[in-house]
Amino acid sequence: MSKGAITKSEVLQGTLDLMILKTLQALGPQHGFGLARRIEQVSQDILRLNEGTVYTSLMRLQHQGWITSEWAPSENNRKAKFYSITRKGLKQLERETEAWERMSGVIGRILSLQAGQET
Amino acid sequence: MSEDPEFDAEVEAHLDLLTRRYVDQGMSEEAARLAARRQFGNLTLLREERYRFRALPAVESMWQDLRYAARSCRRNPGFTAAVALTLALGIGANTAIFTICNAILLRPLPYRDPDRLVMLWERPLGSAESYAVAPANFLDWRAQTHSFDGVVAINPFPTFVLRGTGSAGLLNGAAVSSDFFAVLGTTLAMGRSFLPEEERPGANRVAILTHGVWETRFGRRRDILGAAITLNDIPHTIVGVLPPDFEFVGRSADFQSRTQFDVWVPTAFNTNPSRGTHPLRVFARLKPGVTLDEARADLDVVGANLARTYPEENKDRGIAAVPLFQQVTRDVRPALLTLLATVGFVLLIACGNVANLLLSRGAARQRELSVRVAIGAGLGRVAQQLLVESTLLAFLGGALGLAVAMAAISLAAPYLPVDVSRATGIGIDLRVMSFTTVVSLTTGLLFGLAPLLQARRVNPGDTLAAGIRVASSLPTRLRSSLVLGQIAMTLVLSIGATLMVRSFWTLLHVPTGFSADQVLTARITLPRSRYPNADRIAALHRDVLDRLRAAPGVQAAGMAAYLPFSGDDNGWAFFIEGRPPLPVGVYNVVKYRPITDGYFEALDVPLIRGRGFDTSDTGNAMPTVVINQSMARAYWGEENPLGQRLRFGGGIWMTTWRTIVGVVGDVRHEGLDRDLTPEMYVPFAQAPQPEGAATLVIRTALDATAMAGVARGVVAESDPSVPVDRLATMDQLVSSSVGTPRFQTIVFAALALLALTMASIGIYGVTSYTVAQRTREFGIYLALGASRGTVLRRVLGQSMPVIAVGLAAGVLASFALTRLITKLLYGVTPLDPVTFVTVPLLLFGVACLATYLPARRATTIDPIVALRVD
Repeated sequence: MSKGAITKSEVLQGTLDLMILKTLQALGPQHGFGLARRIEQVSQDILRLNEGTVYTSLMRLQHQGWITSEWAPSENNRKAKFYSITRKGLKQLERETEAWERMSGVIGRILSLQAGQET
Repeated sequence: MSEDPEFDAEVEAHLDLLTRRYVDQGMSEEAARLAARRQFGNLTLLREERYRFRALPAVESMWQDLRYAARSCRRNPGFTAAVALTLALGIGANTAIFTICNAILLRPLPYRDPDRLVMLWERPLGSAESYAVAPANFLDWRAQTHSFDGVVAINPFPTFVLRGTGSAGLLNGAAVSSDFFAVLGTTLAMGRSFLPEEERPGANRVAILTHGVWETRFGRRRDILGAAITLNDIPHTIVGVLPPDFEFVGRSADFQSRTQFDVWVPTAFNTNPSRGTHPLRVFARLKPGVTLDEARADLDVVGANLARTYPEENKDRGIAAVPLFQQVTRDVRPALLTLLATVGFVLLIACGNVANLLLSRGAARQRELSVRVAIGAGLGRVAQQLLVESTLLAFLGGALGLAVAMAAISLAAPYLPVDVSRATGIGIDLRVMSFTTVVSLTTGLLFGLAPLLQARRVNPGDTLAAGIRVASSLPTRLRSSLVLGQIAMTLVLSIGATLMVRSFWTLLHVPTGFSADQVLTARITLPRSRYPNADRIAALHRDVLDRLRAAPGVQAAGMAAYLPFSGDDNGWAFFIEGRPPLPVGVYNVVKYRPITDGYFEALDVPLIRGRGFDTSDTGNAMPTVVINQSMARAYWGEENPLGQRLRFGGGIWMTTWRTIVGVVGDVRHEGLDRDLTPEMYVPFAQAPQPEGAATLVIRTALDATAMAGVARGVVAESDPSVPVDRLATMDQLVSSSVGTPRFQTIVFAALALLALTMASIGIYGVTSYTVAQRTREFGIYLALGASRGTVLRRVLGQSMPVIAVGLAAGVLASFALTRLITKLLYGVTPLDPVTFVTVPLLLFGVACLATYLPARRATTIDPIVALRVD
């Protein structure tokens, strides 16, 4: 899948997955609402998303075994499902981050090319 | 539609929080809720996605299938019971046989590094026979071989009369070389082992007790070490007690049935040990790194050296080394492996039946499967469900089978033959449990495959259309081949079992040469200190016999040193007067039997010529000997041996000439399956060597067992210090000598019967199913005027080829396979024509009956009713 043509939605999905993993790694266990808030805050409204897609992403990550979930009391004393990153998830995050940095470096170099520069 | 309250709660909480946020920003409750929904996105899509993820994990769907399977088992209790019971019998029989094999063939011997232990035997060059070892040869082997970390010997014959320390009685003794326990790797529970200097005569007055004797005879006395006991009137000091788990392992045939010992003493070697008597059994432990072949090469050198040095005794004799485990399991191994293979066949037949049952049900479930496939279940998913079901059934059968096995073992345990000397460890252990689990699992996969083949052909369009039941040809073919296989396997088992039964029957009817009915036997053991010579022994014998003959109900009474079927035996070399001397190292050796007068009468051994012994054959009378027919034929041919004289070989008796006064009939001594051998009888009083032990043989007019009290009483009147033991009727002795073949035969017959029953049920079931499926077709025939005979012929016409081909395959397989049980057969060839004709015919009859019963039902179909079916 990763070797074939990358569709737009796959880029978005992959990006969201990476963001959630990173958030869980940086901030510790979070519930879905908290994750949505954090992403909203970090992206400063640049990335507007249907918050339901966070859950699609969580399902996908959990299915891969990169995160686990557990019911626990939340700040307002309601029960909420908290997600946390697994050891396997940490490894994946490392791989993804590296790939992302490589990719963004390449793209950054390409985009900074100016006409006539190659001669 | 949502059955996912957990997910719903999570989403609900999220929406609430979003709503709260909008309300805080000043929105109305209603508007805030709408905004929250909008921001959250398409909930239905999310639920569907969620469902896809939930459906995927294999574990979860497996659990679902398992619950479904359990439900369907509970819904069809009859079906479940039939399957579970069939499997329980199949798996139970396998577990039971495996449990025995495990105890005897898989459990390591209870010694340190048992793989390094071997037994050494004297062996005539180029022969497969092996003989026990002469003390002088043992000492030379021990001194001259280089491959062993110890060569040790055991003499299993001493019987000790224990006196003092409270209780008196007989103890089975073993005399062993000093490092015997060290070489086996046994550490004593208390005290020490024997010392090398205790192998000298006079210094060997020390004893080691087994744990059992220490408990029963000495009340677990802690201060037992150093205590004095009197064995055969000679004081001994107890120096050690063996650990409770010590087990002496020997093939009973190698030890003349003496493998249970109570007390151990050092064997004494005098300065001039015998090279002509062979009482020792020799064990040795291979040095680390030395292979068996290297040890054998070493032994060949030593053997050749001894043959050169002592040609008189060792000419053409070598030394054989056999791994201990191989030696111990030699007798039972082929029988057990055959049983294991046999019981495997039974399980296959059981699998066939279960597969058939599942197929029948599969036909009924075809619609269910069709629906599943139609709504999008993949074939893999359906296969998983079917396999989970069959595995569940298999484990149910396995659990029941374990119970069946435990019941079977406790039922059979008392009948296990004695020469399965390691039978004490028979029980369910981890290895047995694993075996049962693996068998159950394999079984489940095996019979689970059948409905799978069927499911593969499910075409939703066909089976769902208009409710028409299509009799698919695949299940019918599959079922026919299953039945065919079952018939073939059952025939193989039945032929095998019949051969065993015929062999056992032949064995039981081998003429023994004596009459065993109403004969009681009992051993008396005379302590040597009180009965040091032949005269004293003869006097006691005279007294006991006179008293016995006076007792009411006694018809005849005599004594023998070595009673047939008792395990006791002896042979002696002899020379015939007037014959040219034999070459060096060659001897005439025949079986040697000291007996008293009245012995031939008590056992009803027929007198052929001359006379037997009577009261006049005392120690002072002319030395006499009676020979059997085999000996007369072997050494005198057509000549009359009466009046000929012979003398025994060895020592001072070589000078005594003994006159042959009679010829008696041959007697089987070692067992029913043994050849008749030349034997010579001498009067007890004239025996070349005093015999302390003798067995009373009493022929009674009444029930022989009722005479036990009389026998004990009479001996006690003569000398109360003489112990009486081994009370048994002659019938019991003969019967227990065939314990192993009897056990084999019964187990084989039981397994064949089980196979036959299962196969019959299989045939019956398949025919019933066919008839039920074709009810409408037969109804039409009958409505159109076909006779009932025609319908019957149609049903039978379908089954007969299957039965015929199955039987033919079974006969062919039997031709190939019965060869494997040749070793277990006596007096019957593996291709016994009677068996190969009658058993297939018999099985054919049974198969026909199993077909005919359901087939007859087809002829009683009422056409009107049949056409209304559905």
